[in-house]
Amino acid sequence: MSLFELPILSTLGAAAAGGCASGGCASGGCSTGGCGTAPAERTSENSRREFLKTATTLTLGAMSLTLLPGVTAGDDMLPLPPPGGDGHAPAAKPMYGFLIDTTKCIGAGKCLTACRVENSVPDGQSRTWVERYVHYKDGRVEVDLVPETGYAGSGEVQPAAEDVLQAYFVPKLCNQCVDAPCNQVCPVHASIKSPEGIELVDTERCIGCGYCVQACPYGIRFMNHDTGVADKCNWCYHRVMRNEQPACVEACPTGARVFGRIDDPDSEISKRLATVPTNVLKQHLGTLPLTRYVGLTDEVT
Amino acid sequence: MVLFSIGGRMTDKAPTQGTVMTSFNDTRHLWALGAFLAAVGLVGMVVRREMIPDDFGTTGPYRASALDDIAAQPSLFQADATCHACHEAVKHERAGKSHEAVRCAHCHGLAVDHVAMARRGAEDATVALPPAAEWDGDFLTKADLYISKDRATCLSCHEAVVGMPADFKKIDVAVHLEEQGASEPLSRETCFECHGGHDTAP
Repeated sequence: MSLFELPILSTLGAAAAGGCASGGCASGGCSTGGCGTAPAERTSENSRREFLKTATTLTLGAMSLTLLPGVTAGDDMLPLPPPGGDGHAPAAKPMYGFLIDTTKCIGAGKCLTACRVENSVPDGQSRTWVERYVHYKDGRVEVDLVPETGYAGSGEVQPAAEDVLQAYFVPKLCNQCVDAPCNQVCPVHASIKSPEGIELVDTERCIGCGYCVQACPYGIRFMNHDTGVADKCNWCYHRVMRNEQPACVEACPTGARVFGRIDDPDSEISKRLATVPTNVLKQHLGTLPLTRYVGLTDEVT
Repeated sequence: MVLFSIGGRMTDKAPTQGTVMTSFNDTRHLWALGAFLAAVGLVGMVVRREMIPDDFGTTGPYRASALDDIAAQPSLFQADATCHACHEAVKHERAGKSHEAVRCAHCHGLAVDHVAMARRGAEDATVALPPAAEWDGDFLTKADLYISKDRATCLSCHEAVVGMPADFKKIDVAVHLEEQGASEPLSRETCFECHGGHDTAP
């Protein structure tokens, strides 16, 4: 019995004692005092039903106000504009791709400095890095990171060449997944998948919760120490929009990094992709990366 | 009169009228509830309008002007074409040589100031380019132009490291110098005693 039924019952009980003329009461006989409870409960049922009906109508009515068009500032469920609509990209959206040729990388680290300077990445953090995989003859595989100035002059003890079966460098950068997990988890829509398919961070909207950093299966995203918000490789979006190459591609002296339009069959990357077998990182995750690699071993993927 | 009784007056007359289907006539509270919900909805709408940028959702589920903001970031790393626009002789000097793929910036720095001054100088003859700065061991990070013939610059790429491709020209410094009969003490510009920068053939 809920709280607001109590006074109803007491009032009804008193009224029923005075004169019990209801239909339900007539059939059962009205001579006993207990008869008064039957119509009282039924009336209570009816009033509750009416109350719920009215309250629900009002609540739904109030809620529906927020759905009125023009009342709200924007709606995040708006469909994407049709191709060729106005906006930032031209009518035919260019499609970009990134190819890493691990057989050409020399581990000089020029790309690392270029990226840091171009994008003002704080020391100790990086949007891109280069891993070195060293397969020893005794079966061990060791991975280390190329210092930003390259191994020369870094003072690091190098593996003895006679112990090494195979060694190669693997540059890492944003995979620009078509189905990007980092994009999906952002609670404030600060993760942007640009019309060109490049994943960006809206540093104004980002609240720095770090959820996307956790979500990226490739460990590309990080919390920028200087700005306090999420940071990531964006294939130098600002340069790409000016038809320039990303800084790391521009800085690579050996052509290990190739960037270009994959919708243009005459571009260098299209020609390379058409002739050389390539692979992506962590294909089993189904994130559909746009960054493709030449010469990936099982240890890397 | 009861001052506060929810539903207290609703069926005062019902039994005397002989009907069970009494009506809910305490509408005052429902109006109050409705007004409260409307107020909450109104506040919610105002807050939502304030919190969501005007251009949100116009091109996708994001703030559309963020694309412009990001695209406005300046390009610092200059492509060789920028340098070759003025230094055309160097372009020809490097064409077809092994160092053609090495960027100007690797040995001369980002030269942001140098490029900016040169562009201003193209319009204003009184703007003079500053002389090249001393290389201080950092790659790329200087805004000034520098000319580094320091062997550390060369070795940052060419010192043999496990993992380099077999066809890359790498040297074990000690072995290479001994082969070439270099005499101690080595100068900082040892490499340039035999090799050029733009054309590296010995």
